[in-house]
Amino acid sequence: MNTALKNIRRSPYQALAAVFIVTLTLYIVGIFSLVTTASHSILLSFETKPQLIAYLKDGHTTDQVAGLISTLNSTQGVKEATYVSKQEALELYKKSVGNDPVLLGTVTDWGIVTADILPASVEITANSPQSFSNIATVLEGSDIVSTTPQGKKEIDYPQDVILELTRWTNAIRMAGLVLVIALAFVSVLTIMIIISMKISSRRVEIGTLKLLGARNFFIIKPYLQESIIYGVIGAIFGWLFTYISVLYSTPFLAPRLGSIFTFPIPIEIMLLLLGGMVIFGLILSFLSSLFAAARFVNRSK
Amino acid sequence: MIEFAHVTKSYPNGDVVLDDVTFTVSAGDFLVITGKSGAGKTTIGRLLIHDLVPTKGKIIVDGEDLSKIKSKNIPAIRRKIGFVFQDFKIIPDKTIGENITLVLQIAGYDPNKIKDKVKHLLDMVGIKGKADLFPGQLAGGEIQRAAIARAIAADPPVLFADEPTGNLDKETSIEIYNLLKKINDDGTTVIMATHDVTLIELNNSRHLHLEKGKIISDEEKKKHKTEK
Repeated sequence: MNTALKNIRRSPYQALAAVFIVTLTLYIVGIFSLVTTASHSILLSFETKPQLIAYLKDGHTTDQVAGLISTLNSTQGVKEATYVSKQEALELYKKSVGNDPVLLGTVTDWGIVTADILPASVEITANSPQSFSNIATVLEGSDIVSTTPQGKKEIDYPQDVILELTRWTNAIRMAGLVLVIALAFVSVLTIMIIISMKISSRRVEIGTLKLLGARNFFIIKPYLQESIIYGVIGAIFGWLFTYISVLYSTPFLAPRLGSIFTFPIPIEIMLLLLGGMVIFGLILSFLSSLFAAARFVNRSK
Repeated sequence: MIEFAHVTKSYPNGDVVLDDVTFTVSAGDFLVITGKSGAGKTTIGRLLIHDLVPTKGKIIVDGEDLSKIKSKNIPAIRRKIGFVFQDFKIIPDKTIGENITLVLQIAGYDPNKIKDKVKHLLDMVGIKGKADLFPGQLAGGEIQRAAIARAIAADPPVLFADEPTGNLDKETSIEIYNLLKKINDDGTTVIMATHDVTLIELNNSRHLHLEKGKIISDEEKKKHKTEK
């Protein structure tokens, strides 16, 4: 280990370059890990929420609602169909505004928000966004689903939002993956070149060590250790910058994603991320030194 | 212990540096190889540690035929032969202590005992207290002693000293020779390659003389012949 540290001290700028590229790579890995997890959670929260809501006319009967729910349950692609009464709609409204007395006391065109002014509805969870149009057709054929003044059935379904979100999530994942692979490649190449240069610059010493009976592993061990030091330090710095970025953006993200995630992000999750990043850093540095060592072994044959 | 059987070493340009050389060295021997520069003395050493491969013939070291040795076993053979190189090959940016430590680490010596061992070795070769000095801070004779200390650090059964007194004054040369004799008395087989007349005069051990890659005389061989 002393030799590895001495090697680093002897060429601080090479060490700085290696740590910088590993830090950058792992910072991007950290950010994209969080973004990918977040986008996945957002998508999941959309998928697990009722995705189609059909608002019902006032004056519908229990039998009519039961009939509609039965029809929906037998429709292909329907996972669950639930009736939400006017009173339940008011409870949901209260929950969504967080019992804010100002919002609860809002005077609308129809007066203060009460159960009477909120429509009853049927909320449907679909197996996949592809089933939305099929389910919507069934709802449009129902007599108890209310109609807008323009004659359109009042059915809300965020098909476009989910499809768009799925598309964006996949695009982010792909972009992240490509970026991480490219940076990982550059990291491996940089460390490999630095280690190879160091091995090459000490070839006389290495030649002497071989004549003294040193095995290849003994000779390359300090360089492997040096590479691992780059990987671990790069991972720690990458994680620190990721954490700083997360903390910096918390005031912006918390009001928008507070219902899906806990802000600030729990330290346990961040430590888990640190563990993952250190492992990734170790893999990068191990691969780099392995390639450099393979070149050395091939040359010294 | 060591056997050279009809060993020839030639290079693609036609230079023959060793020509059909045959000799054996038994455990505990002190062999002095003499000859002018280019006679093939260093080549014998380099063949011994498999730094060079013979063109013809067979070399056996401690029962192992070097012509059949697998590359993974070469380091083990090299650890059996302590080598004092003509150009020392002391690593310049490591202290004398670190240079010796390297050999002990290569041999897998107990890390807790390395410091004491280095101290003992430096004491033994007569450069006590120089462990923390760099090679550039030592005199020629001291570097030579450091090189000998490094060569015998891991207690190899054989020590090959290539021109160990090159460029040294007569008095220091005799000291170095006596040091090698002492190492031999302690049980190590010593092969010394030299063209130093002082040492040749001092030597009362077996003496092998080379000229243009051929053995011209082997005093022990002569002695055997006389006995026969």
